[in-house]
Amino acid sequence: MTMIDADERAAIRDGFARLLAERHREADVRRIMATDSGHDPALWQAISDMGLTALLVNPDHGGIGAGPVELEAVMEEAGAALLAGPFLSSAVLAAGLLGQSNDADAKARLLPGIASGEAIAAVALTGEAGSWTPVGVNVTARREGDGWQLDGTAAFVLSANVATVLLVVARTADGIGCFEIAPDAIGIDVQPLESWDRTLRFSRILFSGAKAVQIGGIDEAAVERALDLGRVALAGEQAGAARQIFEISVDYLKTRVQFGRQIGGFQALKHIAADLLIEVESATSAARAAAEALASDAPDKDRLVNLAAFACADAFSEVAATAIQMHGGIAFTWEHPAHLYLRRARADAQLFGQSDMYRERFLAAMEKAA
Amino acid sequence: MSDAVNEIRQEARAWLAANWDTDAGRARSGGSMGDWMRLVFEAGWAVPSWPTDYWGRGLGKAETSAVIGEFRKVGAPGAGQDRTNITANSIMQFGSETLKRKMIPEFLTGASMCLLYSEPGAGSDLAAVRTRADRKGDVYVVSGQKLWTSGAHRAQYGLLLARTDWDVPKHEGLSFFIIPMKQEGIEVRPINQITGDSHFNEVFLDNAQVLAENRVGEEGQGWKVMQTALAVERAIMGEGAGERRQGSSKDNVVSLIDIAREAGKLDDPVLRQDIAQAIAWRQLNALNMMRAKQEMAQGSSSPIMSLGKLAMSRILHGDARVMTKLLGAASMLDGEANERAADVNYRAANAYMTSIGGGTDQIQRNIIGERVLGLPREVEADRNIPFRQSRAVTG
Repeated sequence: MTMIDADERAAIRDGFARLLAERHREADVRRIMATDSGHDPALWQAISDMGLTALLVNPDHGGIGAGPVELEAVMEEAGAALLAGPFLSSAVLAAGLLGQSNDADAKARLLPGIASGEAIAAVALTGEAGSWTPVGVNVTARREGDGWQLDGTAAFVLSANVATVLLVVARTADGIGCFEIAPDAIGIDVQPLESWDRTLRFSRILFSGAKAVQIGGIDEAAVERALDLGRVALAGEQAGAARQIFEISVDYLKTRVQFGRQIGGFQALKHIAADLLIEVESATSAARAAAEALASDAPDKDRLVNLAAFACADAFSEVAATAIQMHGGIAFTWEHPAHLYLRRARADAQLFGQSDMYRERFLAAMEKAA
Repeated sequence: MSDAVNEIRQEARAWLAANWDTDAGRARSGGSMGDWMRLVFEAGWAVPSWPTDYWGRGLGKAETSAVIGEFRKVGAPGAGQDRTNITANSIMQFGSETLKRKMIPEFLTGASMCLLYSEPGAGSDLAAVRTRADRKGDVYVVSGQKLWTSGAHRAQYGLLLARTDWDVPKHEGLSFFIIPMKQEGIEVRPINQITGDSHFNEVFLDNAQVLAENRVGEEGQGWKVMQTALAVERAIMGEGAGERRQGSSKDNVVSLIDIAREAGKLDDPVLRQDIAQAIAWRQLNALNMMRAKQEMAQGSSSPIMSLGKLAMSRILHGDARVMTKLLGAASMLDGEANERAADVNYRAANAYMTSIGGGTDQIQRNIIGERVLGLPREVEADRNIPFRQSRAVTG
């Protein structure tokens, strides 16, 4: 990991925030939602030009070599803007997974493209069970001559519909492994599915004797480490999004007048806002603490990453859901942005596993430390 | 970390090494805790951020935090009272020069005080106090009844909120005093709490006297002075000062898991969710407080500090709820019949100390909504009329 000081970190974050404010306003979110792909190539180009797709990639492969702390900061902005497209999939999950590999050829082959944004990678991590745990993997890989052959089903594969390359986590006779395959290879069927949050696109992928190349050095533990990056990124996204829809709601409480008063003067709403502020601040603290623990490989990183995973998911879910209630009728309309945050909150609460699972993992980490 | 921070850290560390006996928990020179406090005070550690001609060292926030950190590390009291000493801060901000010189050194070296704020008719609506202070020459004569005063029987002084003007709206007719408690005309009676403890008292003032020079701020400024005092108090409560320090483990995290194990319920998947969530609330509050301190050390003010007390009340009630589930029917027992139950039941009752004391959760939510989020103020029927005409007086 490269040393990035606080000023550089702030500059990366601010630059991204400016880009999003110009190129990814609510109208853009709605425009991208309405496209077939859920992907805006011009926006992707701008994000790549700014170096953000290179954030986690090692400088040897054309990247910036930043870590979880920078990633989390950037994801707070992404969350606030409800960033659509393959950033989480390609720049975080795929870059993170390849970062765990010791396969020099694969890294040299794949990472420069991911860093520059010319390639878009998607990662198949779970089966229909949607557990994002090794048990949930439902693709098997068998040796076939010099290469490997994949069979089975991957589900909820984020951004696979626009991917130029797929990384598939699969079971082998020796445990979990990772495989590279083109989305248009023979024996593979990428089926884009409708999603409730149209800013996130999922596909089911069927493998039937599809020929793939193994990416060396990725086992179950490596997948977990890559997923930790994904969890911290998602926690940052949730914290940023929760804060944004919270601020939208508080602004509305100040402008909406009923019974001759601003409605934020009513305790029924004021008290909800106070309670939600605790959730918003807690989510921010949890996401940042997890990022720092992961960056420094702290002994309590499992505890903090798991804590952030459920605390941020729960906070965003609650804030987004309550925001609609606080607004009243206006937020029940399609034109109001509140439901866009609810959609993202509900999707994010499932990605990489539900809160109950992370609460259990958190407690297990506490017991282990005791 | 900046050089200035490092430098002051080294200085504090060296000073502590020379003066504080960590193992014995007292000054190397011996003497009482009062002697130690005076040593700290004279070295300028008591209020590091205050100017040098006011007993401080003129340090910035980060340097002050570093000093406090060094004292905390070795368990030495007395430093950083510029953040915790309610009386000294109130006088420093609002008191006359005479009052500052007269009283601040005394309070920074351990003078005890109690809070004479609430009254039977002025709880959440604290500005409705009816204790009167009438000016008679160089003194004020004070009569009325105060409530929820902890430590009143041993305190040397009381921080008194009293009405000096009945013909202006309620917030404008209040004044703030430092009144000596040991005098005729002040009677202290303990209140029996729902926990069985008696930490709080009623205080009856019947023609008690306080010197006019002991007024903090101008006549009619009392409400503003008290806000400062309350802010310091709430910041302290947010860090869990209201928690039980006796009995079972101080560390709640260990105890929830331990209690579950003892009760044979650590494998219950539903209870595990409850336990994890209770522990999480506590850890999230700690992370929030840590972030607030970092932000303040960097010079920016943090809205997070004001959340701590409300968050702590959820934590304490939540802990008690989970512990009760873990104990099950045994939680009906008490005392020696079941010491674990005694502890849990105590916690369940004592949690209200945080959710009511120092401003109820509901008042806290108003404060957060109004001062942090900028939402409109509550409507108050008697805000703009002479207090004499308020229903607090007319009934």
